[in-house]
Amino acid sequence: MILRLLILFVVLFAMLSVHCANLISEDTAQPNPTAGTLFFKKQVFPILKKRCFECHSHESGEINGGLALDSRSGWELGGDSGPAIVPGETKQSLIIETIRYGNVDLQMPPDGKLPESEIILLEKWVAMGAPDPRRTDPVISKKGIDIEAGRKHWAFQPVRVPKVPDVTETNWPLDEIDSFLLAKLELDQLHPADDTNRYTWLRRISLDLTGLPPTPQEIEAFIADSSDDAYARVADRLLDSRAYGERWARHWLDLTGYADQIGTANKVYAEYGWRYRDYLIDAFNSDKPFNQFIREQIAGDLLPGTVEERAAAITATGFLLLDNIEVGESDKMKLVVDVVDQQLIKVGTAFLGMTLGCARCHDHKFDPISQNEYYALAGIFMSTDSTHKVKYGVWSGIRSAQLPETTAQQTERDLKTQKHNKQLTTWIQTRAAIRKKADALEKESDERKKLEAQIPNLNRNIQHAEFFVPTAPRAYAVGDVEKPSDMRITIRGNPHALGEVVPRGFLKVISYSPPNKIPANQSGRLELANWIASPQNPLTARVTVNRIWQKLFGEGLVRSSDYFGLRGESPSHPDLLDFLAHRFVQNGWSQRKLIRSLVLSRAYRMGGTYNPQAVAKDPENRLLWRIAPQRLDAESLRDSLLLVAGTLQPSSGGPALALEYPENVSGLGPNNVNPPSFHLNKYHPGQKSQRTIYLPILRSGAQPAPAELRNLFDFTQPAEIAGQRPITTVPTQALFLMNSSEIKKRAAELAARTATLDGKPIEPSKRIEKLWLLTYSRPISKEEKAETLNFLNSQTDTQSAWTDLCHVLLASNEFLMRL
Amino acid sequence: MQLRTLLELMLLIFPPKPSESFFCSWGGGPSQPDLFDPKDYIKKMHGQKVTPPIKDHQLRTGVEKFLALAPGVPVRPRGNCGMMISDLMPNLASVADDLCMLRAMQADSKSHPTATLQMHTGVITEARPSLGSWIGYGLGSENNNLPGFLTIHPQADVRTYGSGFLPASFQGTPLTVPKDNNTPAIKYLTDNESDDTKQRSRLKLLQGMNLRLLERYQRDTQMEGIISSFELAYRMQVATPELVDISAESKETLNLYGIGSGPTDRNGKACLLARRLSEAGVRFIQVTIDGWDHHGNIRSALPHSCKGSDQPVAALITDLKRRGMLDDTLVIWTGEFGRSPWSQDLSGTSPIATHGREHQQESFCTILAGAGVKPGITYGETDDFGFLPVAGKVHLHDLHATILHLLGLDHKRLTHRHAGRDFRLTDVYGRVVKEILA
Repeated sequence: MILRLLILFVVLFAMLSVHCANLISEDTAQPNPTAGTLFFKKQVFPILKKRCFECHSHESGEINGGLALDSRSGWELGGDSGPAIVPGETKQSLIIETIRYGNVDLQMPPDGKLPESEIILLEKWVAMGAPDPRRTDPVISKKGIDIEAGRKHWAFQPVRVPKVPDVTETNWPLDEIDSFLLAKLELDQLHPADDTNRYTWLRRISLDLTGLPPTPQEIEAFIADSSDDAYARVADRLLDSRAYGERWARHWLDLTGYADQIGTANKVYAEYGWRYRDYLIDAFNSDKPFNQFIREQIAGDLLPGTVEERAAAITATGFLLLDNIEVGESDKMKLVVDVVDQQLIKVGTAFLGMTLGCARCHDHKFDPISQNEYYALAGIFMSTDSTHKVKYGVWSGIRSAQLPETTAQQTERDLKTQKHNKQLTTWIQTRAAIRKKADALEKESDERKKLEAQIPNLNRNIQHAEFFVPTAPRAYAVGDVEKPSDMRITIRGNPHALGEVVPRGFLKVISYSPPNKIPANQSGRLELANWIASPQNPLTARVTVNRIWQKLFGEGLVRSSDYFGLRGESPSHPDLLDFLAHRFVQNGWSQRKLIRSLVLSRAYRMGGTYNPQAVAKDPENRLLWRIAPQRLDAESLRDSLLLVAGTLQPSSGGPALALEYPENVSGLGPNNVNPPSFHLNKYHPGQKSQRTIYLPILRSGAQPAPAELRNLFDFTQPAEIAGQRPITTVPTQALFLMNSSEIKKRAAELAARTATLDGKPIEPSKRIEKLWLLTYSRPISKEEKAETLNFLNSQTDTQSAWTDLCHVLLASNEFLMRL
Repeated sequence: MQLRTLLELMLLIFPPKPSESFFCSWGGGPSQPDLFDPKDYIKKMHGQKVTPPIKDHQLRTGVEKFLALAPGVPVRPRGNCGMMISDLMPNLASVADDLCMLRAMQADSKSHPTATLQMHTGVITEARPSLGSWIGYGLGSENNNLPGFLTIHPQADVRTYGSGFLPASFQGTPLTVPKDNNTPAIKYLTDNESDDTKQRSRLKLLQGMNLRLLERYQRDTQMEGIISSFELAYRMQVATPELVDISAESKETLNLYGIGSGPTDRNGKACLLARRLSEAGVRFIQVTIDGWDHHGNIRSALPHSCKGSDQPVAALITDLKRRGMLDDTLVIWTGEFGRSPWSQDLSGTSPIATHGREHQQESFCTILAGAGVKPGITYGETDDFGFLPVAGKVHLHDLHATILHLLGLDHKRLTHRHAGRDFRLTDVYGRVVKEILA
């Protein structure tokens, strides 16, 4: 802290121009101006005004770097770099260092050094004790965060248990959810859209829950099922399928920055990343309670459990690590604080719908989160071990941990190791034998050359096998550092410019009960996880149910689903949101139960037809008077193409990168200054026909060929933490659908698989019916049938006519969209 | 330090109103101590240890000895303005009086991917809108058959031409100089398997089915959007081949760009294509040219890189000028960072003649030309090493602010509301470098 001068100097500023009069307050209580204030008035103020106010005054609207120079308190409090002036101490005053251009990173004014005469005047002024009669402006005094005022925001208030509203159309609701929706519609004299037909509903729920359209058999079974629980049976069948986990795990991955690559440089592979992806699929398939899901991802390494539970929970902490970590950063302190920042941003966005990163350099501009609170949370991650220096050049790696193994796993690994060693020994022996044989031959002989030509390949295999020795299963996982401690503020995120120490803790504005104390010898992640996973936390359940709602109804009840702060959107149905949040917690944080209730609601059965009256009153469908059609996301689109073409291969997970092939890895030599890197030359057998979630994800965002349509159809790039994907329409998508070999291949496969039945050719009209059922999940209409037969007959080449028809179906809106 | 064998020179071009503009940049870290910012002190100390004011929290590999490395080829004053340009760039030297050299550029990252991303988007990580997207967002498009932002031979990282949180219609579309008539300039642009008649009959059936579905729903913006995207795609398919066909250009023009054979062919075609696209009203064009990451053997490798790009880039300036386009076109040419005045030797045992140079974001050179920029000036100065700026420092954010200013956009007002916050290209930074404005 600097010493404040006790006296407010007083002077009349008769010379000042009118428009600064409001900035320089006069205090007429003390009539005698001192020499200091006169000096300020005559010599200093004109310089400040001319040279600094453009970027550092309220008058100009610019308070760059948080520093205002239009009041005394402005420089006393200083900006992001601390107080600008220490009265009487020129050497310690940042403003003097800055105008002297003493620090190349902070030179003011930026567009050229001041004349020496002006610098001398300012130095003299600071040496005098910086007399400055301008009164403290309350506007810019460092404001504290007003927690009570902050709590007035709807999202920070405790979740209420709202009463289910009464409705007039009592036979419409199937669930309480419907009553909440209908009540609001009735208030605006609107009607929910008529139920859609069963075909559309089945296709909708299948795509939403599994990312795949229903098969003809599934369609027939549902249409034939006239029992009361036909709908529920479908929901349960889908929720029981592995495909459900495969789809919803991908939704979660959008919030993690996941890729099979570490950082963006040099294709450094994340060889254990897939374990986290598989953990997520399992978590959804086993309906892991969401509060446990939170605890495992933030503090799984600190949780007790059986061998399998421990392995899963440790793997879950990959959430904190599988992000865009620039391991090539040469400034290691910067790497550490940047990783902490990423972890904080991710935890804030994914679980709390808050933009915590905004408070890194200053108090949050809109939300009641202080810079100190950022560092209170950051200290928890600062006490967490995430990266470490590796032997290559300037590079770091991300932390991994050995997973507890069951006896069965150990036995399996021993067998694998034996096999591996045997193969390696064989290669080494073969190489030696070849060398020996070759050495015995004449130097330039063809025979010798032929023998020696085998050696490079063997060398590569041996080097690869020596590098990739079978080990116990590992996963990217965090741990606590040896000596957990509180963190110091980093000024503007610069780890070499440190401010005060901030004790670890949580956000006050959403703490309604005293959080558990962080033990001195621990990071505090477990306490953080429990604080987030608490029913008292007003954000966690609301944010989560809103994310699920968004995935089923297209948009969230709160449309800014990643941001519930003051600048976020208000909920369209606040009571419904709280009702769902409360029910979610009551149901043991079960995502499956929540999803089931939503897809079985009456609202989810609505059609999508346009309604001019409803549009006039509610053009954005905020009240949910219909289910709007929606284009499939990249994964659904590709997976559906594979499914209807009959080429989709099942998978039970496993490594995304086929590192076992030597041609896929380079840079294994011991003296490399760069870590080994991967090259996607070869895939696992069948991998290219597996669901998109099993394919490698690259940090560059240029996703590789088997699923390159991700590059065109709004795939969430691994650099983003975003719970909602935009749905964009650009001509390059149309070009893909018109001309790509991918779409043509699928069309040819679809044509081929519908050509015959039990080895006999199908007659055209039956074949068309089958095509419609496969692609549109509904029977073909008469009109369509006539038009299609007409198209087929107009083509000269029958073979290609069918492929062309399939191509058209796969590129058409009814296939591309979920209606 | 990271090694990458292929690096790039980037050239971005955009013709906006009221002035048009080309943004050219060298990626990969072209060596400014060899090309534009030679220092007597380094020359004097060649092969000997120097002690630059380096902060000790940066890890470095292969530069621990800090041996001064003088340029292998002379760097001389050029034109009437006396701008310093190496003999390795004779063509660029001949247009020196049209150029504006920023010699104290600065960025924030020493690593290619992050620095390259920052050059294009202002930030080191994340997926923010790129410069071309911001400009399209600010100025709109001029051509109905083509996207407003094309990027020729772009970086692998799609974020360098991505639209981030801006609508996807503002993203860059990658374009390749076609090797032959069968290779499309834009991915999936042509149907290689069937003829035009067939494609049209497919499209007719497709659009018919799409319209019938739309009728069922009466109105739906997404369905309507997809229907019109097919129409635009078809127009692109027709318009692009004509545009990328350079056979109509005069022999003299082809020679000017070095098109035909040799190391200048590929880049020459890219630069000529850039001019043609600019004429057609594409707002922002970017060309990437590989090969500037000289960690070793810079004295033998740099001449090769220069050879491939010197003539094409100078030709672009000359061509624009004689067509009267340079006055309303901004050309910017820059790397994502520069290289160190001292040598790098990864083996630790090689003779100085075979050393390379390490990345340097503390200072590097950027060249501007055209609309609104003072021609024939050198702005900014570095210390005796050629390491830290001592005057006229221009941070990348300042360059971005200046580019937007030259296009009539205020970098502080060109904002987009996202996740509760107004974002801009220059974040909370950026200063228009008024000193270089004409």
